[in-house]
Amino acid sequence: MKRHLLIYIVVGVVFFIAGIVFAPALREKGYQIKEWVTRPSPPPPSTKTVILYFSLPGEEYLFPEEREIIASSDPTSEARTILEELIKGPNSSSLSPTIPPGTKVRAVYIKDGCIYVDFSSALAEDHPGGSTGELITVYSIVDTLLTNFPSQSKVQILIQGKPRETLSGHIDIRKPLSKNTDIIRLSPGI
Amino acid sequence: MAKIIKVVVFFTFFFSLSTCLAQASPDYAIEKISFQSQPDYTQIFLDVPRETGYIVKELSNPPRLLINLYPAKLFLSQREIKIEDQFVQRIRLSQDSDHVVKIVLDLSNPEYSWAVFPSEDSSQIIVEVRSPEKDVVRRLLRGQEEAFTFSFSPEKASRVKGKIRRIVLDPGHGGKDPGAIGPTGLKEKEVTLAIAKELARLLRREGLEVYLTREDDRFIPLDRRAEIANQLKGDIFLSIHANAGFSRKAGGIETFFNSRYSYGKGAEEVAARENAAFGSTATFKEVRAIVWDLIQDQYRAESNELSHSIQRYLVQATNLEDRGVKSARFYVLRGAAMPAALVEVGFISNPWEERLLKRDSFRKKVALGIFRGLMDYIREYQERVSG
Repeated sequence: MKRHLLIYIVVGVVFFIAGIVFAPALREKGYQIKEWVTRPSPPPPSTKTVILYFSLPGEEYLFPEEREIIASSDPTSEARTILEELIKGPNSSSLSPTIPPGTKVRAVYIKDGCIYVDFSSALAEDHPGGSTGELITVYSIVDTLLTNFPSQSKVQILIQGKPRETLSGHIDIRKPLSKNTDIIRLSPGI
Repeated sequence: MAKIIKVVVFFTFFFSLSTCLAQASPDYAIEKISFQSQPDYTQIFLDVPRETGYIVKELSNPPRLLINLYPAKLFLSQREIKIEDQFVQRIRLSQDSDHVVKIVLDLSNPEYSWAVFPSEDSSQIIVEVRSPEKDVVRRLLRGQEEAFTFSFSPEKASRVKGKIRRIVLDPGHGGKDPGAIGPTGLKEKEVTLAIAKELARLLRREGLEVYLTREDDRFIPLDRRAEIANQLKGDIFLSIHANAGFSRKAGGIETFFNSRYSYGKGAEEVAARENAAFGSTATFKEVRAIVWDLIQDQYRAESNELSHSIQRYLVQATNLEDRGVKSARFYVLRGAAMPAALVEVGFISNPWEERLLKRDSFRKKVALGIFRGLMDYIREYQERVSG
């Protein structure tokens, strides 16, 4: 009986000591969890204002329109988002769209200062034609991309994965194109 | 410390003063000409504004190379630069007229070859003179002349000096390519052919030789159109189109000429040399493409004037909105070895202008406007050359 009492006491002491030893650890853990829980929930995806170029009524010039997009850390997916917004057309009723509405962006990649954009064949097949129409389409794409990605210097337009001579018989798009600032107007009056 | 600030302020002041002065200097200034004399070639670097175009002519007895820059203003007191190497004796400079700078290279040898091309950033025009057998591009092209059916040195075409007599008209689109289609279904290819035919009739009445790249509704690839004009050794190439846009509101008349294609210094040569080394036909195609891109560059100043004449008279004749003359890289114009323009005779996508373009009477008006523009350009060109 005495031996039993001794065992009880020893076990009790061991537990007591263990409790003292592990208490801070347990307390710490509880505190940590509490802190994690009280942290603000992960932020909503951050947005970013980009510039899209649409055409002014006479279709002689491009005019900038701002739009909020969901920012991405990957420039190629951001470029794709920007182009998809460009295809949707302008919000302002005084501007005109510049790309046939059924056009899809198949792929975007960036290499050596050049943004390569591969469009579906609708870009050429559904194009209204005309030198003016082609200039507006080509440079709304080129100028929009190069304005939002100032570190890149050229844009190569591809259709179904291949470079083409022209969209519908006028402007040469075989090679990467630089920004054209002559076609941009900053006040709609002109 | 105060001293440093003073020095910085001083330099900033002079820096901004000099930039202001540079800004204030008149447009199209030619301020620097330099050269490089190499054993194989001599290169002359002309620092020019981006807008400046050039025409090169070969003159003989004594051998000279004449380069007209337009628009350009000479801001150099020096009128002569001596080189005296095996290719070039000296460079003579003069302000030919208000906006034309004339540069004459007196050459050392009657046997030579030349190339003129813009630098990569278009800030310089590079004139290169070398001995004929060293000119890889030209040798390659000469060997392949049959296959390519165009000449790299168009000045040697059998053109009567200072006389414009052969005009090649290019009715846009055709065959499987209808061009733009109007709201009620009018096809661009019909409009362009009708206008070209009427214009040909008017020009022939004046004793000019006129050819059409197509006489009926057939498809002709874009490359082939300028090639036809080159084979015919035309003096003017005019592509006739009807315009289109995304909205129905756009309207008016617009004339285009080609903007410059720029490649790196001697890019075509590097390509040609590589091709010579490997004998691959793929590279040869690239060489051909580059040379083809550079042909129209030589006629930029003339093409600009041609476009302005046509635009002015066509707007007068039709009373449509004047959208002005513009330049862009037009696939169809780039290989034309002659002054060339593309005229958009109204918007087929605009219901009002489509209705006009359907009418025979309006098509005749358009042809008459272009005809007057062409005649005005021919008259001025011939006065300039003979005077």
